[in-house]
Amino acid sequence: MSGEALRALSETALALAAAVFVTSLLLLLLGYDPVSSLAVMFTYGLGNVEYVAAVAAPLVLSALAFLIPLRAGLFNIGGEGQAYLGALSFLYFSQQFGALGLLAGGLMGALLGGTLGALRAFLGVNEVIASIMTNWTLYYVTLFLVSRHLTHPEFPHRSIDVGFFLGSWTSFLLALALALLALVLLYNTLLGYEIRVLGSSRRAAAYAGIDVRRVTVLSMSIGGLFGGTAGALKVMYVGHLDTTMSALFGVGFLGIGVALIGKSHPIGAVLSAAFLASMIIGGHWVELRLGTPPELTDVIVGVMVLVLSAPYALKLLQRGGRLG
Amino acid sequence: MVEAELWLFVLISSLSYMTPILLATIGEIITERSGIVNVGIEGILLSSAFASVATSFFSGSMLLGVLAGTLAGALLGALFGLFAVYLRADQIIAGLAINMASYGFTVLGLIAIWGHHGASPRVEGQLPYFSIGQSTVPLLTLLAILIAVLSWFFLFRTRTGLALRACGEEPRAADAMGVNTYRYRIAATTLGGTLAGLGGAFLALEIAGVFTRGMSAGMGFIALANVAFSGWNPLPAVFGAYVFGFLSAAADALQQEVGYAYLLKTLPYLGTLAITVLTARRSRAPLRLGVPYARE
Amino acid sequence: MVPLVSMKGITKVYADGTVALRGVTFELAEGEVHALLGENGAGKTTLMRILYGELRPTAGEIFVRGQSVAFRSPQEAMRRGIAMVHQNFSLVPSFTVADNLYLAVTSVKPMRRGEVEGRARELGARLGIEVPLEARVEQLSAGMKQRAEILKSLLLDAKIIILDEPTSLLTPLEARALLGLIKELKAQQVSFVYVTHKLREVKEVADRVTVLRKGANVGTFQVSEVSEAEMAKLMVGAEVERVRRSRSGAPGEVLLEVEDLAARDDMGVERLKGVTLSVRRGEVVGIAGVQGSGQKELAEILAGLRRPERGKVRLGGVDVTGRSPREMRRAGVLYSPESREEGLALEMSLVENSVLARQGEHASGVTMNWKSAEERARQIVERFRVVFTDLWERARNLSGGNQQRLMVGRELESEGLLLIAHEPTQGLDVVSAEKVRGEILRFRERGAVLLISSDLDEVLELSDRIVVLFEGRVVGELKGGESDLERLAKLMGGAL
Repeated sequence: MSGEALRALSETALALAAAVFVTSLLLLLLGYDPVSSLAVMFTYGLGNVEYVAAVAAPLVLSALAFLIPLRAGLFNIGGEGQAYLGALSFLYFSQQFGALGLLAGGLMGALLGGTLGALRAFLGVNEVIASIMTNWTLYYVTLFLVSRHLTHPEFPHRSIDVGFFLGSWTSFLLALALALLALVLLYNTLLGYEIRVLGSSRRAAAYAGIDVRRVTVLSMSIGGLFGGTAGALKVMYVGHLDTTMSALFGVGFLGIGVALIGKSHPIGAVLSAAFLASMIIGGHWVELRLGTPPELTDVIVGVMVLVLSAPYALKLLQRGGRLG
Repeated sequence: MVEAELWLFVLISSLSYMTPILLATIGEIITERSGIVNVGIEGILLSSAFASVATSFFSGSMLLGVLAGTLAGALLGALFGLFAVYLRADQIIAGLAINMASYGFTVLGLIAIWGHHGASPRVEGQLPYFSIGQSTVPLLTLLAILIAVLSWFFLFRTRTGLALRACGEEPRAADAMGVNTYRYRIAATTLGGTLAGLGGAFLALEIAGVFTRGMSAGMGFIALANVAFSGWNPLPAVFGAYVFGFLSAAADALQQEVGYAYLLKTLPYLGTLAITVLTARRSRAPLRLGVPYARE
Repeated sequence: MVPLVSMKGITKVYADGTVALRGVTFELAEGEVHALLGENGAGKTTLMRILYGELRPTAGEIFVRGQSVAFRSPQEAMRRGIAMVHQNFSLVPSFTVADNLYLAVTSVKPMRRGEVEGRARELGARLGIEVPLEARVEQLSAGMKQRAEILKSLLLDAKIIILDEPTSLLTPLEARALLGLIKELKAQQVSFVYVTHKLREVKEVADRVTVLRKGANVGTFQVSEVSEAEMAKLMVGAEVERVRRSRSGAPGEVLLEVEDLAARDDMGVERLKGVTLSVRRGEVVGIAGVQGSGQKELAEILAGLRRPERGKVRLGGVDVTGRSPREMRRAGVLYSPESREEGLALEMSLVENSVLARQGEHASGVTMNWKSAEERARQIVERFRVVFTDLWERARNLSGGNQQRLMVGRELESEGLLLIAHEPTQGLDVVSAEKVRGEILRFRERGAVLLISSDLDEVLELSDRIVVLFEGRVVGELKGGESDLERLAKLMGGAL
């Protein structure tokens, strides 16, 4: 195993250990049994592999939505909003056009991502703030449409059903294929090379004659494409949207965690999406069996990402804590 | 006449809405002036909102609730500072992590304490306020404005403020001049968290009166937008916070008048986005914002 | 007599495993100017940053006036009367001079702002080093910034002042004034450590000299008892055969014409104020000037990275003014920039860096051709002796010298007509530097070279002609072989 892969693995292990420790403390504090809660969470999720594949598929894509722009040095926190837009578009277009609804979802996401990229590239608008504002705007727009225009004729709090469906494995294979496409894009194409140079250093990108604006808009559009498709896959799996937004809420944000736990690499994202999916499913089991809330997963992901944000922490541990 | 009264009401209730935004903005200005960017204030608002509601629920004291929220903010600010300053974390990612963990943790607590998935029971009691005609203005709003003035004085008129700004402009030079960059930066993130924590307590105890799942709803990022809008200066931040607060207050008031609740709720976000786009690149950020500093 | 400062057996190993100092012993006597001489990377600055409390030694002891000390911060060193003036200064650029002085002084002892300013004025007047206190530092010239730094040290009552490469950013006139000031302060019992790699300055200003080579002390001498040649030999370790220039006959037709070029830097400061020059085929034209005279902006315009405000650039008779970096490269311009952070994507591999700025040539359609990129990387690392463990490892993991060889090597390995080499040998050991210089001379056969360097010996040695820039204008042109340093130095300072 190469040194780099070994390091990535030990960082992830450290992050997981820290997350288990922190969550255990929290569970104790709140009066739950940490040992059995975590045991159920990490094992029960693996019981039904097909279920894991179904939950993982949209996560792979929302991770790619964050990952591609990140490699260009951009923070696409807008995966959440891109997912909402993708879900809405899929819901609408799949009625008439079936599978093409997926494409519509992706393209609408790409349009939104590209717009955020253009705001950043041409007007200098901070993409983090703009992303969050569009996320919340689209959150309420979705609620509006679900309750007014795409409403189910019999149930006023939920939308019409999707007009197209893929099985769990097919969805996962689609996500896997798109992850491989992202891999090829990043490491084997000229655009991928330019994205990574820009992410390494803006000055080096300018030196290399790379059109920074073009790469900014393109990488955000590609991110949006994946984000939109993630939302489409998610609503396709659930079958409809409702006014609690429980089907969609968090899919974009969780993608950020998936991408970072996967060390910002497409293959890593697939692995970490599978890991997180099993944890999410385990989380539901924990709730059923022990009454421990499934949001446990969010705490674990948050702590893991926090530890992973500081690779220097691992170096420090190896050196016995001497700051240098 | 009803119209005029409505708008007067909105203008006054904007003062209430502006308060958490203003406190979070001032906190973030102090943090960013030291060279650290903390997008985790969104999560800090949420966590401190939870801490304040839980504490006032158990103690029956609103004041203790405010204190607990502020303390929670300080702790999270210090935790973030530990990662950003000493562990040289990617600051954006560490901030997002704080947001994710805060969301999960507060929902966990909500269910554990009250057994409810959406909202806590209403808190009993009332924070101190004073009246203007028929409307009331919370005392904490005045305090927030006072804090803005004091922060301005601190940043631009004291030696410590000068040293803090030096850390954000040129940490290497600050260090060589005997200013301990690490210490200033972690103090700044802690102070920033403390102010955001006070804001979170206000949001829960005064504006909402309950804790609801994910109740910060982008307010931390609106504060981040206000930091740039006000040019990293606490005095214009008061005006900025009022503008952003007005958008929320107007959205709330209009919902009750005209309906279209969901669409009106987009107003603060679209408004913030519009203001951000229109004022982008207007002022200069601290030179070394977001860059970890290491002596060797 | 107890020495003022005594450093014994100082060893420094950085976190990444680099050994910067190996058991160095260094002494400073009361009232002396002690030069610390060595090449780039010899460990001079590291040793002094340890004395100043910015770095902690891995091993070794430090005594000040006989007392053992272990500074944990510059603040503690300042309290013991030690001050350091860094090569690139340590002032906050966006603050005023007064803000900077106030901040530095009050970190050691409480003092009112008015008092700091009053004392600064008084001291400045007495020593003839007045500095505009209300001006922002970023608006000051390098010489002014240095005065502010020295004023800062004196306000701190420093009895020991460490000057790190103090003349590197100064005009020769400013440098002369500095040497005068040092002598005057020495008379007032201030002791100096003078860090430099310039032999001439050692002779001119120092009482004693300690020579460092590869992190070790290779000798301490009375300056009067050692010759420049002897010091040079100690510093380098062996006699190095210098490249001899073989005149390549008469230069050919004009390749590059620059006419009345004007431009501003990123901060909006006017850096080029109408520069006209030309380069002929077969020539190396050196650009001399103190840092900030406009040479960086000139290089960036020629590389397509900066738009001129006015003026023309013609390459082979074709107007190429305002073209993009890609177009400039296509027209035959090769550019090795001053900063490796600019000329390399440090988070990417050697292979990927080997094709940086010509990535399109190694792509077929939209996909990259890594085979041809690898081949190219192999050619560069072999020819320029880049030491690496894996062609796919990150450039960040290479040492500075290896990064430099990779970057310069990549440009020299490419097809092109005009090479712009900005500080091409910085961070290189003497042998590699000579290798690069040889390659630059050989490039004349393919086209022409514009050489920008702060190493005047290098400029004199390699250039057929030297164009001197001062404050954004051409102030003189000299022939390479016959120019003397004295005349060059005068021109660089703006003395016509």
